[in-house]
Amino acid sequence: MSATPPFVRLRLTFTLARRELRGGIAGFRVLLFCLFLGVGSIAAIGSLDRAAEDGIKADAKALLGGDVEARLLYRPAGAAEARFLAASGRSSRVVTLRAMARRGDGKAAALIELKAVDAAYPLYGGVALSPKGPLAAALARSPHPNPPPSAGEGREGQRGLYGAAVEGAVLDRLGLKLGDTVAIGEATFVLRAIIEREPDQSFGGLIFGPSVIISEKALAATGLIAPGALVAYKYRLRLPPGAAAAAWVSRARALFPEAGWQIKTADNAAPALRRLFARVALYLRLVGLSALLVGGVGIGNAVASHVAQKTPTIAILKCLGAENRLVLAAYLLQILTLALAALAAALVFGALLPWVALPFLDPLLPLPLAPAFFPGPLAEAALLGILATLAFALWPLAGIGRVPAAALFRDTVDPARRQVPIWAIGMTALAALGLAALLVLGTGDRRVALYFVAGLATAFVLFTAAGRLVVGAARRLPRPRHPALRLAIANLCRPGAPTVGVVVSLGIGLSVLIAIALVEGNIARAVEERLPKEAPAFFFIDIQPDQLAGFEGIVRGIPGARFREVPMLRGRITRLNGVPADRAKVAPSARWALDSDRGLTYAARLPRGSTLAAGKWWPPDYRGPPLVSFAADLARGMGLKVGDTLSVNLLGREITARIANLRHIDWARLGINFVLVFAPGTLEAAPQTHLAAVYLPPAAEGRLVREVSGHFPNVSAIGVREALAAVGRVLATIGIAVRLAALVTVASGTLVLGGAVAAGHRRRVYDAVVLKVLGATRGAVARAFLFEQAILGLLVAAVASLFGTLAGYVVVTRLMRAEWVFLPASLAAAAAFATLLGLGFGFVGTWAALGAKPAPYLRNG
Amino acid sequence: MLEDVHLTLASPAGPVNILSGVSLAVEPGETVAIIGPSGSGKSSLLMVMAGLERASKGHVRVAGEDLGGLDEDSLARLRRRHIGIVFQAFHLIPTMTALENAAMPLELAGHRDAFARAADGLAAVGLKERLAHYPAQLSGGEQQRVAIARAFVAGPDLLLADEPTGNLDPATGRLVIDCLFAEQARHGTTLILVTHDPTLAERCAREIHLYGGQIAADRRAASPEAGARRAR
Repeated sequence: MSATPPFVRLRLTFTLARRELRGGIAGFRVLLFCLFLGVGSIAAIGSLDRAAEDGIKADAKALLGGDVEARLLYRPAGAAEARFLAASGRSSRVVTLRAMARRGDGKAAALIELKAVDAAYPLYGGVALSPKGPLAAALARSPHPNPPPSAGEGREGQRGLYGAAVEGAVLDRLGLKLGDTVAIGEATFVLRAIIEREPDQSFGGLIFGPSVIISEKALAATGLIAPGALVAYKYRLRLPPGAAAAAWVSRARALFPEAGWQIKTADNAAPALRRLFARVALYLRLVGLSALLVGGVGIGNAVASHVAQKTPTIAILKCLGAENRLVLAAYLLQILTLALAALAAALVFGALLPWVALPFLDPLLPLPLAPAFFPGPLAEAALLGILATLAFALWPLAGIGRVPAAALFRDTVDPARRQVPIWAIGMTALAALGLAALLVLGTGDRRVALYFVAGLATAFVLFTAAGRLVVGAARRLPRPRHPALRLAIANLCRPGAPTVGVVVSLGIGLSVLIAIALVEGNIARAVEERLPKEAPAFFFIDIQPDQLAGFEGIVRGIPGARFREVPMLRGRITRLNGVPADRAKVAPSARWALDSDRGLTYAARLPRGSTLAAGKWWPPDYRGPPLVSFAADLARGMGLKVGDTLSVNLLGREITARIANLRHIDWARLGINFVLVFAPGTLEAAPQTHLAAVYLPPAAEGRLVREVSGHFPNVSAIGVREALAAVGRVLATIGIAVRLAALVTVASGTLVLGGAVAAGHRRRVYDAVVLKVLGATRGAVARAFLFEQAILGLLVAAVASLFGTLAGYVVVTRLMRAEWVFLPASLAAAAAFATLLGLGFGFVGTWAALGAKPAPYLRNG
Repeated sequence: MLEDVHLTLASPAGPVNILSGVSLAVEPGETVAIIGPSGSGKSSLLMVMAGLERASKGHVRVAGEDLGGLDEDSLARLRRRHIGIVFQAFHLIPTMTALENAAMPLELAGHRDAFARAADGLAAVGLKERLAHYPAQLSGGEQQRVAIARAFVAGPDLLLADEPTGNLDPATGRLVIDCLFAEQARHGTTLILVTHDPTLAERCAREIHLYGGQIAADRRAASPEAGARRAR
């Protein structure tokens, strides 16, 4: 028998698919929505991620302040360095430090990020002020028309006051308005303008205080530049056209190997910001992927029920002489057509979201979004959607091959199942592998992606096994006497029951929900509950050694206050075992410690809040070659062990120390702790300041800040409560995004469940009708259906609780490296929510079934 | 042509013998009625002849082809060329119009004039005005006439009909049967008809009585013409 010519078959495939689509898409609603939700969220997240990346790239020079920035800590550039910088292009110097801004009457003080700029600032972008006007005019010194008595002491008073441009938050915190004066260090400034936009605003400013911009000349008047004070000198360059930033960096490093400056180029601007956003985007992406895969089960269910419903048509076509592969191709084409329609809608949604979200996200995000059409993430999302469709649809589609044409001669289709054909197993495996590969390759952090794939694979196996177990147990159990319970159990294991599919989709959806609830709960707890009991109220920085006694006196004078202080310096890790830090192989999780300078100290004894992880602590009276104690998790990320060496650049001098031991550091206690702790004998002579953590009752906080800033204008107070509140605000923003994404997963799970209920609806109605005819009350029928839902719901809730908790534990301890706290209330709430949701759906379906009129279902034909 | 055909099917209660040694040769153009009580194996015999069920033992030959040696897709192609089937429950495809349903076998065989020939076929069974109607918009008798047009459209050598009037009232049933025989006569097709209805069986040239999966009686009318006359 000759086979159908290929072109005829192709045309027939399209013809059949088109005619079958006339049947409507009612049975495919779940498939369409699941695909839309999954692909749409992945496409949207991918587009947003790219919009943020492009935004940073487009504004990179403005964010950085130049083509390149060389940052020196504690000291300005030396004469030779300055000459080199001046000769390299147009340059600008910005000096930043933390400081306290005080109201003239001394009644309020606030931590600020003080930024002294020269005339060339900013090299890129512009500062927008309100009222509008040039920055130079706002910062200039001018005679004060009406100098207040507390201001204007000394020479400055006679010659007029410098102006300052401030963020609105400074006015709020100090209760001041434009035109008022504010004291910073030993100088007094007139508040001339509010900063509307600051191109190179630091991300830390979000948490550690709003910006105040003053002129470079005014900085000298503040008296804040003392030895050891935490001052950063940032030299920004606008290179001549055609000059490559990378070439300049190599030259600078070669000419001044000991400068210890941290050089950044515009293509690496805002690394911390990018990292944070990438982290959030990764998390959202994984949640979106879970939604897609949960929805995949819905796709599978929809295809299976479609094939079951189309059994007569399939059998007719086979009777009329259609080959198996033609019928299969026609139905696959039909499903792919629908999938493509859903994908198209999802991609439009994903592509448009950055524009739609811009007005909402702009005030929340500390980075500029550059919405555009990004084909990359959209193509990836589409490919993921198609692979997911194939992975989940091919298996049930293979059922077409099992529909015997002889079915038409019998009342029902022969349920005797043959094996799933090899090609279906192979293609499904191939699609699943492609999905996993794309997922891992497309995710920045491969390790996280692998965890995710492994977790999902485990979840599929686990919940499939659980579903099979239910079906098997229901089959083997002796039938209970209670008729409703008997019917419920029979329903779970009758041929064609969607039990396994429902258990898998609901189980994974619920596991994701529980994992997210627990991770969020852990973060929230870490911020809100755990800290206030142990955390200090303030950190005071830049205490000069000769101010220590006076500072101690102030703290001791406040009842209930106690403090700990340590000497503090800042330095940058420059070499790991002699290898320059920028060339060393370092895990992404440890990279942050090399990106900028770190605080460091020296101590005779193991600091509180640390435990020794490896090596030995030095004797208290150690006086030998430099030794250092390093954070254990960073050492692991950098591949360092006890006995290796670390080089640190301090004030232009490189100190190489041997790692004597590694410490686990409990950062969550928020006590004083340092990544790097040196042994005595190395740093004592270096210019340094002291860092003090003060613990005291909340009522006395205002008094402490007033007294310290009154006596020591150069000492800055970082309020822990304020900083935590700021962190909390950032986390809350992230939390909204995560919850939205979680909602998508739950919506997918709900759709799958709803789809399963709808697919079972006809059978349910028929059962209800027959039972009613036989004299069963509606209550009895409803009970039977609810028993069925309850058995499934409880089982899914139990397994998902275990698995979701495990997943949450892995995320918190492995990916976030935080301490895990089990939160039974969050778990119970999530599980109860999903179980009730399932019962609700079951109840709605049952109610509709009970209301059906019997007659049409009892007639033949 | 059937030679010593046996059919055994698996069931939850163990294997069941459906056909036990049926041998039957049908001449081209012959009209054959298969009658017998429920469970005698009538429909199964039809399915074996259509290649929808494989004989456990013996040979089935249709249009010179031994069905035992063909795989599923080859059987599908054989049906497309040589066999038409009419079912008790009509079995039209609900998403296709009458015309599309009738044209399906020709489309599957790749004929370019599928629709023109299907339209002629539908006109021949009196449904010229119903081409664009979907099955749900047609009466039972009309649906069965579409099924008849579909079964004859590709000019099959063999037409198998399983209780074609089983779902119709007697008057409509007679109309449909007239239509079936008219088409059979027009195409000269071999017709094998399964029925419970003795008057319907009498319209065929040959009656085969099946009991317990075996042929109990095989009666021929004096001549096909006589059979045809008897039917009128």
